[in-house]
Parts: sequence; C-alpha cells; structure tokens
Amino acid sequence: MKTNKLFFALLFAVLLISVAASIVAAAEPVEITYSYWGTPDEAASVQAVADRFNAEHPEIVVKVMAIPNEEYVTKLNTMATANELPDCGIMNEAGVLDFAEKGLLADVSDMYAGADSMPLDSITFKKDGKPVAYSAANEILILYYNTDMFDAAGLPYPSATEPMTWDEFVATAKKLTLDKNGKNADDPEFDAENIVQYGAVVDNWTWQLEVWALSNGGSWFNADGTEVTINSPEAIESIQKVADLYLVDKVMPYNAGLEDNGIQRSIVSGTVAMATGGTWNVGTSLPGSVKYSVAPLPVMKKEVTICTGGPQVVFSQSKHQAEAMEFIKWYTKEENSWDNLIATGIWMPILEKYYTDEALTKKWIDNPNFPKYEDYKAAVVDYAMNYAVSTSWYYTPHTNEFIEYLRSILGPVWDGTQTAEEAINGGYDYLCSILAGE
Amino acid sequence: MEIDVRKKKADHRLLDGERKTSYLCLIPSCIGLIFLTYVPLITVLILSFFNWKGVGTLQWVGLTNYVRLFTKDPYFIDAIKVTVYFSVLAVFGSILYSFAIALLLNQKIPARGFFRAIFYLPYVLPAMAVYLGWSWLYESNWGLFNYILSFLGIGKVKFIGSPTWVVPSLALIAVWLSGNLIVIFLAGLQNVPRVYHEAAEMDGASGWQRFRYITIPCMTPIIFYNLLMSLITNMQVVTPALALTQGGPGNSSRFISYVMYTYAFKDAKLSYACAISFIFFLIIAVFTIILFVTSGRWVFYQGGND
Repeated sequence: MKTNKLFFALLFAVLLISVAASIVAAAEPVEITYSYWGTPDEAASVQAVADRFNAEHPEIVVKVMAIPNEEYVTKLNTMATANELPDCGIMNEAGVLDFAEKGLLADVSDMYAGADSMPLDSITFKKDGKPVAYSAANEILILYYNTDMFDAAGLPYPSATEPMTWDEFVATAKKLTLDKNGKNADDPEFDAENIVQYGAVVDNWTWQLEVWALSNGGSWFNADGTEVTINSPEAIESIQKVADLYLVDKVMPYNAGLEDNGIQRSIVSGTVAMATGGTWNVGTSLPGSVKYSVAPLPVMKKEVTICTGGPQVVFSQSKHQAEAMEFIKWYTKEENSWDNLIATGIWMPILEKYYTDEALTKKWIDNPNFPKYEDYKAAVVDYAMNYAVSTSWYYTPHTNEFIEYLRSILGPVWDGTQTAEEAINGGYDYLCSILAGE
Repeated sequence: MEIDVRKKKADHRLLDGERKTSYLCLIPSCIGLIFLTYVPLITVLILSFFNWKGVGTLQWVGLTNYVRLFTKDPYFIDAIKVTVYFSVLAVFGSILYSFAIALLLNQKIPARGFFRAIFYLPYVLPAMAVYLGWSWLYESNWGLFNYILSFLGIGKVKFIGSPTWVVPSLALIAVWLSGNLIVIFLAGLQNVPRVYHEAAEMDGASGWQRFRYITIPCMTPIIFYNLLMSLITNMQVVTPALALTQGGPGNSSRFISYVMYTYAFKDAKLSYACAISFIFFLIIAVFTIILFVTSGRWVFYQGGND
C-alpha cells in the first residue's frame, strides 16, 4: 500500500512539473537577433526601437547585435559559413546581391503588399530585374559647409537651390584655403607647406567616387550592370579632378581614401570649409560645436547624386522567419523608427509620400536636429526626389571585390604617382573579370 | 638467471605505472595538438583543392587555385615582395635594437628594473591602442612627427600614406614593440661566463675586443633563437594592415596574411584563401630551413663536443 501511495505521489509530482514547464514554455517569448552597424548614437537609437517593439509584442523578444561597419560583411560571411547568421538585420549594401545569389536572404517581396506608398525605386535592390530587398533608409551624398568660415572670408554661402559648377567650387575652395600667414590659395605668396585651413574635402572613400563619374556624364557600369564602363574618358577625368584638388589646386588635405571619416576629419574637426558626405552625418556626427548648412554636390556636367541605404533583410538560415519578418515589417514602417532615426537625421524616409507631400516633409525636417529648413528641403529632399540615382550595388553583383580592387589601383593616383588614366586602364581587365565573377 | 628475471619483472612494473601516468598527462596536449594544429592544417590543404565559398557544396578544382595565384591574382606576387621586405626590415631592426638595449640594461645603472619595465611595456599594450596612437604620430597632415619635421624646416612626409614610406614606418612600430626580445637577450647576457671576460682582461683585451670575441660568440644561440622567432612572427604580420592601412596606398602594405584575410572573410572565397595559406606555410618553411642550415656555421654551442 505504502509503495503504491509513494508511486502515485511521484507520478502526480512529475505531472505537475511537466504541466508547469509546458506553460512556461508556451509563455516564453521567441527570441530573435537583429544585427546592424553604426556609431554609438545609432546603437542607442536602434536599442530604443527594439525596446519599443519588445514592449508592444510580448511574444517576441528582439536582441540587437552591433557589428562595426568595416567588419560587417566579414562577420556575416563568417556567421553564414558557421550557419549562425542572426535572424534578421540591416544588410551592408555591397553584399546584398551576393547574399541573394547564395540563397541566404529570405523572400521579402510581400513586405509592401497593399501599402499606400511604395519605397522609391532608386533604393530597391534588383536581381535580374526582380526586387530582392528594399533599403531601410534613404541616404544621398551632399555638400556640407562651415558657415563661420564663409562669414570670416566674406563669401556667400553655397546655394541650396542652384548647385555650384565644379570650377566655381574649386575657386571658392581656393579662397577658403588659408596658410599660417592668413594668405589664401590665390595669393602668389601662398605657403602650401603650412596650411592651417583647407577649402574643401571631396571624400575619396571608394564607393562614393561613382557620383563624380555620373556628374561628369560617364558611369562605372552600363544601365543593366553587365559591362564595366569606368574606362570611359568622362569617368577617368572625374577621378583625376578629385585627385587634383590635392595635387594641383592644393585645397584638400591628403587622404588615401580608406575609411568613412570624411565629415569627422573635416567639418567636425573645424579644419575644412566644405566637405562632401552622406546625409546620415546630420544625425551621427553633426552638429557638435560647428555651425553648418547643406547644399547639393557641385556639378561637373550633370546634376546628380547617388542614393544608398542598407536594406532590412531576413536571413534564410533563421529558425524563426515568421517572427523576424514581423519585426522587419514593423521596423520599416516610418512611424516606428521616427523618433530615434528619422527625426534625428540619421535615416531619410523611403516612402515617396514624404518627398512629395509638403506637410509630411515639414513633419520630418522642421526640428532643431536639422540645418535650416529651406536649405535641407532644397538640397536634400527635392534633390533626392529629382536627381538621385541608385549606387551601382543595387543592380551589380560582386561589388565588394570590385570596390576593394578599385581602391588598390587608385592608391597611386591620390599622391600623384600615377594618373587616373594609367591606373584605370591598367586595372580595367581585372575589373571586368570581377564583374563576370571569374 | 634468477636475478635477471627479477630485475626484468621489476622494471616492467615500474615502467607500467610511470608509463600510464605519463601517457595520461600527455593526452590533453596531444588532443590540443591534433585538433588545433594538425587537423586544421590538413583540412586547409584539402580545402584548397576545391571551390568552396563558405556556403553550398564543394566542387573539386584541383590545382586551379594555385595556378591562379601565380598567374591571375593581382595581389599575391606583390604581397610576397611586401611581406619579405617588411620582415627583413623588422627582423634586423628588432634584433639590433633589442640587443643594444639589452647590452645597456646589463650595466649596473640606477633604477635598472624600472628601465627594463619601460622597454618591455610596448609588448604588453593592446594592439589596437598602439596602432591608433601611432596613426596620430604618423598622420599625413597634422600628425606629431610632421609637426616636428615642419619645426625643423623639413617638409611633411606622408609616412603611412606614402607607398615608399609605409613599410619602413610599420617596421619602426614593429621594432618599438619588440620588448620580448630584450628580455631573452638579457637572460643570455647574464649567462656569458665571467671567467672568459676576466681572463681576457688579464691578457689586455679592450672592451670592444672582449665584446666581439667573447660576448657575441657566447650569445649566438640566443641570437639564432630570437632571429628565428622574430622571422616567423614578422612574416605573419597582419595587425598594422587591419588597423591602420588596409593594404596601404595601393598595394604597398598588403601583406600575405592580409590578402588571405580579405579573400577568406570579406569575399568568402575560402578555398582560395586556403591555397594562399598553404603557399605561405611553404614560404615560411623555406626561410626557416635556410636559417637552420646556415646556422651551423655561425652558432656556437658551449655545451657541445666540437
């Protein structure tokens, strides 16, 4: 009898424990990881967004994983080999089509099904003409300038509605390049060895150079991304002109084009009067203690700028694709990343309506985080709508390798050892073989 | 007869117990050696004959990767030249620098321990902090070295922004970091027998003669060891490229390890990187063998019977 009672008591205990465990398991939220890159400010913003989602959706817990930009594709490649990719994340633009080719991206084509506004076409990643990812944010390249330096030199600010020509840009930069005796670059007694303030920095971080080829009437690839056209005279001339800012015009400090710190080492450090850079700098690096405003890029022959933006993707290795898709859909709704990313200037919205509807535009940029409303509206909002074209990684594969090789052959161009023509013609065949995937 | 059998039995038992213990103690390091060294080495060799890109199936391609490395690859041949150039500068620089500092530290100077710590310190600093600091010394426009140069009236030098100066600049950092060699040289200097010096002094040898004919020959085993370690470490240089130059202006600081890293992890061409890795292993092996073979002529071992 006693053993019987003991037996049933044990059975009952086991039953109780397993019921309790299954209740806990059912109530346990699904955990998904989301990877991204960014400065510490961006990190705080992304964490705030994730916290809001977690609060609104108790059955899913999002854990954010920060990876530095320089190592982003490297880390993802390694995780892909180990089958440990995060569930979702923002994807580095240069690696999107290669990941799609390897089947690592889940299908997101129904993300905007039935929505009232589609993302801009220029920020849609396409493989063989079909969309494979949509940028989570829009970013374009613009010109930043230090208003105090212009005031001190008595020069008018660059116009936000009428971009300068390249020659006007160089002339203005010369007036703003000062040596330690206060003489500017036009002065015959200018001391080029002792410059204390530079007139301009055109960021020569390799992928950004494409905009100058387009501005000069050329391009790096043909329209459907099947041919390399960087050896056209217009494209070559555009790169030489950027290099000549340091070599000939003496208005730019020397830089080997290695990293994205164009705005930090120029406008933010207060040593350069004008600098080109991406619109994300409004939120990530500026204003600091510098008074600045924005204008469109100088024009060589055509008014143009390039747009980019990492897409939000779900990785096909994820074991919780449905939950990850839900987070991504929620995240890409402008309202949800508004306070932390859009209102701070780090991201620009992707839906067309924010660029065409003035009321929505005001809602976006009429706040103290942005420079003067009229400047930003003309130089960024309207310019993006009218003149922005996709950076080539939206439709060409193997961009990582292409850019890496291009960077290595352009090295001698920046310090004058080779001309742009020699460098590009020398490397042209290998660039073509990279595009072909050999 | 009986004694022999007894002795044999005793030996057998003794060896058994000792043998078992020694094998047991060796197992952990054997496992580590096999799984962390030999298995990866053989896997890398095998992978280099395929066409693997990290995900997906393996496809046999034979020697295609190796042929491509020497014919079509735009980085590899330059990388070998750059790596050898850097190694020569860094190794000779480190040996000369550490030997000189060790000689100085071997004197009876006040606060000797403090100076030893100062010279050893760079070796224990975190690499990224070191390179970040040096990047500001070397900065092409506003760095400290250029500031000093402009004070002296010499023009600015681009250091790590210049194709000619980037490798010597990085070699200088490597020399500065070689504190570990100083410690080993010091230990070697302490072991030079005093009796030789005393005998030579009595015979009227000058300081320089004593240095040349006593100190250096007694130090040759240590010099050989430091030369070997320094060569192997400096040939595998990659941190300056990753932290500072990303291959430098053009390809002028694109070391073999950096090329391997880029192909393996940025482009996910793992098999290709394995091929590079294996060739690199052969290159280092060749240099090591050369060093060992030529060592017989100049290394003098005191305990030997020659």
